[in-house]
Amino acid sequence: MSISILVLGAPFESQACYTAYRYAKAALEMNTIVDRVFFYQSSVHTASTLSCTPRDEFDLYTAWQKLNQSYNLDLVVCIAAAARRGVIDNSEQKRHDKIAHNMSSSFELSGLGQLVEAIATSEKLITFGE
Amino acid sequence: MSQIKKKLLIVQTKAPFGSSDTQESLDIVLAAGTFDQDVSLLIEDDACYQLLGAQQPEIINRKNTTKMLNALPIYGINKILVCAESAALRNLPRHNNDAFKFITKNEIKTVYSESDTVIRF
Repeated sequence: MSISILVLGAPFESQACYTAYRYAKAALEMNTIVDRVFFYQSSVHTASTLSCTPRDEFDLYTAWQKLNQSYNLDLVVCIAAAARRGVIDNSEQKRHDKIAHNMSSSFELSGLGQLVEAIATSEKLITFGE
Repeated sequence: MSQIKKKLLIVQTKAPFGSSDTQESLDIVLAAGTFDQDVSLLIEDDACYQLLGAQQPEIINRKNTTKMLNALPIYGINKILVCAESAALRNLPRHNNDAFKFITKNEIKTVYSESDTVIRF
């Protein structure tokens, strides 16, 4: 069984990112192949390294990064959705002439083609909406 | 890009200019079309307000996604389905563009069951 995961909801406002995280973690622990996790719409904020989670709350941002490191999980952030929302990497910073970049190196910026490819190649796509 | 073709269904349910959903869901439709996937768009609920002519989103500085919607057939996306009941409930006219196919709730059930992947916005 191979799956890909699409996340749409914002990391704090919505439960989507957290549920998607738990789902991905459970799938990986069960040796299910997770081809790709694609972050679209407000979920792109998950890739920001500037988020500060209060100490008594669950740090979802670091949790996704750890999942990437533990399982070499492919975490792709939609480049257009992310740039619109102020999540950019070093090369996007230069391209848009901005003062800083904030994207975690655990994530990769790419286009919607990566989502389409994930849909085409994985047996199932699981979406976590708003 | 993989040669595997899946039946992908994108469903729009929200009013056109109140959120980014219309624009960002259309972008998926276009990307799927570009990569030669079998993609359909289903317009349901308040998303049917896109059928109203003479939309002027420029006044509120929103991108005119209705133009993008009407241009989908140019990009080879010909399966644009509209929930007839949603449109009728909102007293919306049947679109004069032949690209839009009005379908019943029962037909929508079939569309869902025949799709490999469904993403709702």
